[in-house]
Amino acid sequence: MTIIYLEKYKKEVIEKFGDKINRTEENNNEIHFILRNINDIPLICDYVCNSLGTRLTTIICTDERKIRNGFVIRYVFGKENREDVFIFVTALVNQDKLSFPSIALQIPAAFLYEREIKDMFGLIPVGNPDTRPLALHNWPENTFPLRKEFDLNTKETRQEKQYSFLKVEGEGICEIPVGPIHAGIIEPGHFRFSILGENIINLETRLGYTHKGIEKLAESMKLEDALLLSERIAGDESVANSTAYCQAIEKIARTKIPKRAENIRTIFGELERLYNHIGTLAGISTDAGFPFGAARLNILKERLMQLNESSSGSRLLFGVNRIGGVRCDISDENRKVIINTLDRVSHDFEKVIAFLKAKSSLMDRLKDTGKIQRKIAQELGVVGVIARSSGIDIDTRRDHPYASYFSHNHRTPQQLAEEQIEMEKRSGDVLARFELRVKEVRNSMTIIEESLNLASDGMFTNPPELIMPYGSALGYSESHRGQTIHWIMMGENNSIFRYKIRTASFCNWPMIEHAILNDIVPDFPLVNKSLDLSYTGNDL
Amino acid sequence: MAEILVGIIQGLVIILLSPLITGIMRKTKARTQKRMGARLLQPYYDILKLIKKDEVISDQSSWIFRICPWVNFVALAAAAFFIPLFLTYSPFGLAGDLLLVIGLFALARFFTMLASLDVASSFGGLGSSREMMYSALLEPALFLTIFIVALTYGGTNLSTLVTEVSSATLLPHPQLIFAAIAMFVLVLGETGRLPFDNPSTHLELTMVHEAMILEYSGKSLALIEWSQAIKLLILLVLVVNIFVPWGISSSITIPALGIGFVSLFAKISILAIFIAYFESSIAKWRLFRIPDLVAVAIASSMIGIILYYIK
Repeated sequence: MTIIYLEKYKKEVIEKFGDKINRTEENNNEIHFILRNINDIPLICDYVCNSLGTRLTTIICTDERKIRNGFVIRYVFGKENREDVFIFVTALVNQDKLSFPSIALQIPAAFLYEREIKDMFGLIPVGNPDTRPLALHNWPENTFPLRKEFDLNTKETRQEKQYSFLKVEGEGICEIPVGPIHAGIIEPGHFRFSILGENIINLETRLGYTHKGIEKLAESMKLEDALLLSERIAGDESVANSTAYCQAIEKIARTKIPKRAENIRTIFGELERLYNHIGTLAGISTDAGFPFGAARLNILKERLMQLNESSSGSRLLFGVNRIGGVRCDISDENRKVIINTLDRVSHDFEKVIAFLKAKSSLMDRLKDTGKIQRKIAQELGVVGVIARSSGIDIDTRRDHPYASYFSHNHRTPQQLAEEQIEMEKRSGDVLARFELRVKEVRNSMTIIEESLNLASDGMFTNPPELIMPYGSALGYSESHRGQTIHWIMMGENNSIFRYKIRTASFCNWPMIEHAILNDIVPDFPLVNKSLDLSYTGNDL
Repeated sequence: MAEILVGIIQGLVIILLSPLITGIMRKTKARTQKRMGARLLQPYYDILKLIKKDEVISDQSSWIFRICPWVNFVALAAAAFFIPLFLTYSPFGLAGDLLLVIGLFALARFFTMLASLDVASSFGGLGSSREMMYSALLEPALFLTIFIVALTYGGTNLSTLVTEVSSATLLPHPQLIFAAIAMFVLVLGETGRLPFDNPSTHLELTMVHEAMILEYSGKSLALIEWSQAIKLLILLVLVVNIFVPWGISSSITIPALGIGFVSLFAKISILAIFIAYFESSIAKWRLFRIPDLVAVAIASSMIGIILYYIK
């Protein structure tokens, strides 16, 4: 099926822009259009995104000055309507010019990517109105860590620099700076509120305080070590990230993993979603000032984490994946434990949720708080629960099936219609996100039960000894936060030439500035929790 | 002489017992959340720990910030001496009545708000503006409630009040039921419990009272925490002794005082546990829905006053 769609989009784009495209390449479900001239980027990206009905998935920049005399920028667009296609628009940035045209005005979701490229490679996005650094705070001028000549062990001395926040002025408007160090034990992030009384007029976030240089670090690592690194991008998304990583490598090496491994990846991916969704529901209850409900849900989360430990050896599901399959098998005994635990958790979960829904003081806090408008969510390209709760029907598990999700996607036309209607009804407030998570918890339990019929064709296939240098591929998965994208380009001798990671949090963080606008200051923590954003997943 | 001695003991008991009541409430809340919770005596250890610690004082602050904990503590400790505890009257009662006690509360609150504005931290301003809103709402309700009690028993002097009440039979005046309902809401509001304010929150942006004292550390924090505990206990004692005073001693004899103390402690504990349960069963309300709750208190006390006059 995918091939038909690939051909269709290839034809459409070439018909329209044939003279502007140098050549095309196909790779699994990816189609690459390599442009002749960098100035055509906005035109073609706009067409691919807005006319072909795709969503900006990520923008990848690579320093390929040794191979092709310049930096290469790849704009990745994904179809999200069950056509499993990724469209790449690729252009070469000449190493003498060091600038590229911005597409941020046509595709607002590109704002952050372009700022990131400016930070990391020193390429100027011409036309992007926001020129402030994104992740590198107080770095000296003209140091660009993802360029190849930048040594990993360089110690940079920081310089005091001013970061200009948007000034909101008017009678009675105050500014409250919050963070980067918070009162609770959470990660650092700075929030700049402009308030009128308790009403929030504007919110600006600044992140990047825990930037760890993962993408640079990976370039010096062996494939197996980089797998461990990918698991640790964000501890609570370890399966999602390592699955995406492994898939990218497997695609480059053209390795087909066994059915049993696919099932096991699905099971652990869903177990991860389960404990995190329940944890977020508990967090919503805490932040609405209802610790009783949170305590009950946290008990369930703990039971699931103990289940993780007994079936994989790690509470956070580290060490499940390996390149070419999985490292961790599910024995018949474990199967029974999983089924029993899920039964009990499901039973208690339904009771707690029924109790919470009957609690009017809690429901009143959730309803109409942190409302997200569908149009803004679409333009910012949010993913995962946030997108679905505001009526945008995207889910990587369905749109770009991986692991064994092919087999869980069967719907009758009636079910499809019902889902469609439900999707339209979702209002994008905290309550919608609460209810959607409850629904996804139930759904995950079903998927796990269905997947437990394991095939018996082994746990892994070994990839070829030497993987083709400069081959590249996109790996993707749906974490509990949303679509996770890993793009890998291999170097010589099985090294990693470029590892680009885009977690769901990177797409979803900008949403908080809009979600909060109709609310008052004390509702901010609740809205923040319901969006379930990860600082470390953003600050790679 | 004995009277004065008992009076001093009453005041000291309130001051010394107050962290225990906080401990009981915290333990109850922990148990409802299926946690073991800290020891009952933990608030005492917390105060001792804080007293030993060094203080960090912002260089942007003035003398107001530094004297605020002392004003708090002195105001509330002084209020403690006007409260009849296990004896129906306090020998210091002549020096001040219920209105003075409320005045002392307001003094403590006023200085806390000033101090939170003084350090120029962003949360201090938020906290004090919310506290100001709460107190502006709560005060009319509080005065209306006191008005009912004062009308019913003929005066605002706490000693005569409690003496009158303790000799009365079970709820002789229907308006007192309404006053009790209003008083319960007021206790929650005055002491910053749920649904008004979450005393155990770590979220700076939702705090009310905690936001005001965010800049305090060491001894100052110990004093503020302790005076909060005293305030809570005083309010509980007022509720108990005005609405259910039975068992309270009216003479200075050791057995009567003993019974008075035991029954008071039992009633206070039950009330504290009840409030903790109530807190566990409710989420924090939206900030701008709090006026609705205070309106309930005001309406309830208005009904009480009407009942008093039509009787």
